[in-house]
Amino acid sequence: MIVVDYDKCIGCRTCETVCSLTHEGRINPAEARINIVKYEETGTNIPMLCQKCEEPACVAACPMKAITIDASLGAQIDYSRCIGCKMCIMACPIGGVSLHPASKRIIMCDLCQGDPQCVKSCPEQALEYIDISKLSLKKRREGVKKLARFLEEIKI
Amino acid sequence: MNGYTNKILVINLSNNNIQRIPTQRYIEQFIGGRGVAVKLLYELTPKNVNALSPENVLVFMTGPLTGTLAPSSGRIDVVSKSPETELLGGANAGGFFGPELKYAGYDGIVIIGKASSLIHVDIFNDEVEIKEAQHLSGKGVFDTVKALRKDDKDTQIACIGPAGEKLVNLSGIAFSMRNYAARGGLGAVMGSKNLKAIAVRGTKGLDVAMPDQLRGIAEKMRERIKKMPSYQEYPEWHYKLFRILESDSKSFFGNYEDTAWKERFEAYENAEQFIKSAEFKSETCFGCPLRCWAYIKVKDVGGAGIAACQGTLTSLVNFTKVKDFGKIWKAYLLCQDLGLDTSGTSASITFAMDLYSKGILGNSDTDGLNLVHGNGDALLSTIEKIAKREGLGAVLADGVKSASEKIGKEAEKRTVQAKGGLELWLMEVRPFKGAALSCAVTDSGSHNRATYGLCEFYYLSMRKEAETAARNLLGTEEAAIPTKYEYKPKLVALYENLHILADSFGVCSIPFMPVGLELWTKAYNACTGMETTPMNLTTAAERIRTFERLFNIREGLSRKDDMIADRLFNEPLKDGAWKGEVLDKEKFVEMIDAYYSLRGWDHEGKPTQETLKRLGLE
Repeated sequence: MIVVDYDKCIGCRTCETVCSLTHEGRINPAEARINIVKYEETGTNIPMLCQKCEEPACVAACPMKAITIDASLGAQIDYSRCIGCKMCIMACPIGGVSLHPASKRIIMCDLCQGDPQCVKSCPEQALEYIDISKLSLKKRREGVKKLARFLEEIKI
Repeated sequence: MNGYTNKILVINLSNNNIQRIPTQRYIEQFIGGRGVAVKLLYELTPKNVNALSPENVLVFMTGPLTGTLAPSSGRIDVVSKSPETELLGGANAGGFFGPELKYAGYDGIVIIGKASSLIHVDIFNDEVEIKEAQHLSGKGVFDTVKALRKDDKDTQIACIGPAGEKLVNLSGIAFSMRNYAARGGLGAVMGSKNLKAIAVRGTKGLDVAMPDQLRGIAEKMRERIKKMPSYQEYPEWHYKLFRILESDSKSFFGNYEDTAWKERFEAYENAEQFIKSAEFKSETCFGCPLRCWAYIKVKDVGGAGIAACQGTLTSLVNFTKVKDFGKIWKAYLLCQDLGLDTSGTSASITFAMDLYSKGILGNSDTDGLNLVHGNGDALLSTIEKIAKREGLGAVLADGVKSASEKIGKEAEKRTVQAKGGLELWLMEVRPFKGAALSCAVTDSGSHNRATYGLCEFYYLSMRKEAETAARNLLGTEEAAIPTKYEYKPKLVALYENLHILADSFGVCSIPFMPVGLELWTKAYNACTGMETTPMNLTTAAERIRTFERLFNIREGLSRKDDMIADRLFNEPLKDGAWKGEVLDKEKFVEMIDAYYSLRGWDHEGKPTQETLKRLGLE
């Protein structure tokens, strides 16, 4: 999955332009599968995209069974079945699914079939593509680093 | 054509007429951004137009690379006749407004006329509406942006604060809550049109000619940017910049009085402690890896985005000598919210502080304020007065030149200004002959809009890099030596060309040079599908440069205006690495002659017939 390190994102939106260029051959954040949600008044930048849920609400909501689950790529849209009813958009609790503004097709992150371009182009390595099974241990390792820093700071 | 949206929105506020004109006819000669903007200004204004009259036009113009995958492509150029200099006024801003405008389907916006009451323009793709904005009257930038984003938080805003509404010449145009087209009084022009804000949201996107090539080129460009010597350091520049300026001996303090203010290290230390103890998040502009922005927040004082730039915190500290950084941060927040150019505002306030210390201004002039250098409270209250045009603020509101004319002869002797009376961008220019020349000959703004990153600027701290740049450009390392007059006219002309190309492409001038014109040309071709060369683009830059001059000549500029303040010729530096340095009048005039001749202008600074013909400007 694509793991976001929220502390690292600087809000440059390169992921959005690369994503739309890769999938649509043109530049348009409204056509991107990833968007950085910005709160200027607090300097907050949060990249948001399909989280490849284990029990996807979009899959459950789809009346046409047009969202299938791939073992390594998670939820994927089967356009031969999709009728564009937008139930998936309404069901997704985090806005991971969206509507292409021009073609009105349903769009969501497809992990670039295993080679996500947003991850490659992020100048801050705020995005990382890793095996979900390795995520927790990796996070714990990072947690230890933070802990070590705090321990250093409070050393009397 | 790809890369462009091929539409410029022309809004006449006097009769609410909204038109869309094609960009196409301007592209070949003027590229986009700054180039097309000055062309439109020339075409759409009458000769000797009063800057604050409805006849003046305000042009917002993106470039062909704005909003694309090319790095650092968040820029938009804003051009108008400047009420501060009565010459061409131009400023360039980063952030996210330019890209959003293009995604809405427009390369630029031209504002003509004047609305009968305060309004704002609301753009969503093809829908363009003029809406009344009485409820925003007198509101600061932060509240204005919040109000206009109420329904859609991804809307990008260009707006003025109360200072712009009061037609203060030190006011700029804010882009959302952070970036500014700060200099030259463009906020006052917007205010004179009763235009509080432009809100834009776009979902149409942008076509590029060769998406795959562009991805490869952009990747290479980002790699080069990351190899810039300053890249790693940028997030620390917010407090380090004081010392970086010092290491290049570019610092001065107060009203250009000394370069070795004894308490400066204490001030730097305070800045460092303050910023290190604040909430700090690295930020950047659209598509840019550089992170020269940060969001800084201090509990009980407030937070905002800020650029590590000579025009922001260093300007406030070095000009006013206020050591209490809490006050400096407050001053920044005030300027940012009131809609003031921190650069010109701090230069105007130090000018008043200087006059007060010499008795030229008395307590009755300052409304009893003890307006000495170092007084943080006096700084804060003067900023507010400037925005409201109250008391001393009314005297200072239009900048140093105008203030000196109001105060009188003794005050005029203390002014330091570049062409047209615009305050200089924060930097001691006496030793830097290229920067000094640039301030005098540039036709819009100070030298930070003309020759950003001139290699002489970093000669002391990064000598090898400065010499390499000089050798590559002019074939000699000597051109990088700040105090040498020789080579400088050519160096200035070359940097001006590059700066003009950055501003016309819609990209940032900071990484322009390090990435190199070759790659920018490739990015331009990949976006537009054209097959142009660096040489063609350089000719276009020369054309734009000469056209800027033609506008100013039309508005009455002559050779005598190409000058820099007398003090810089008469007062040698008293201390520091450049002790004794001063500008030499004779050599300065020679530089101007040489510069004119390189540009193909005659002795009076007028483009010759031959030059106009060569550039297709007859």
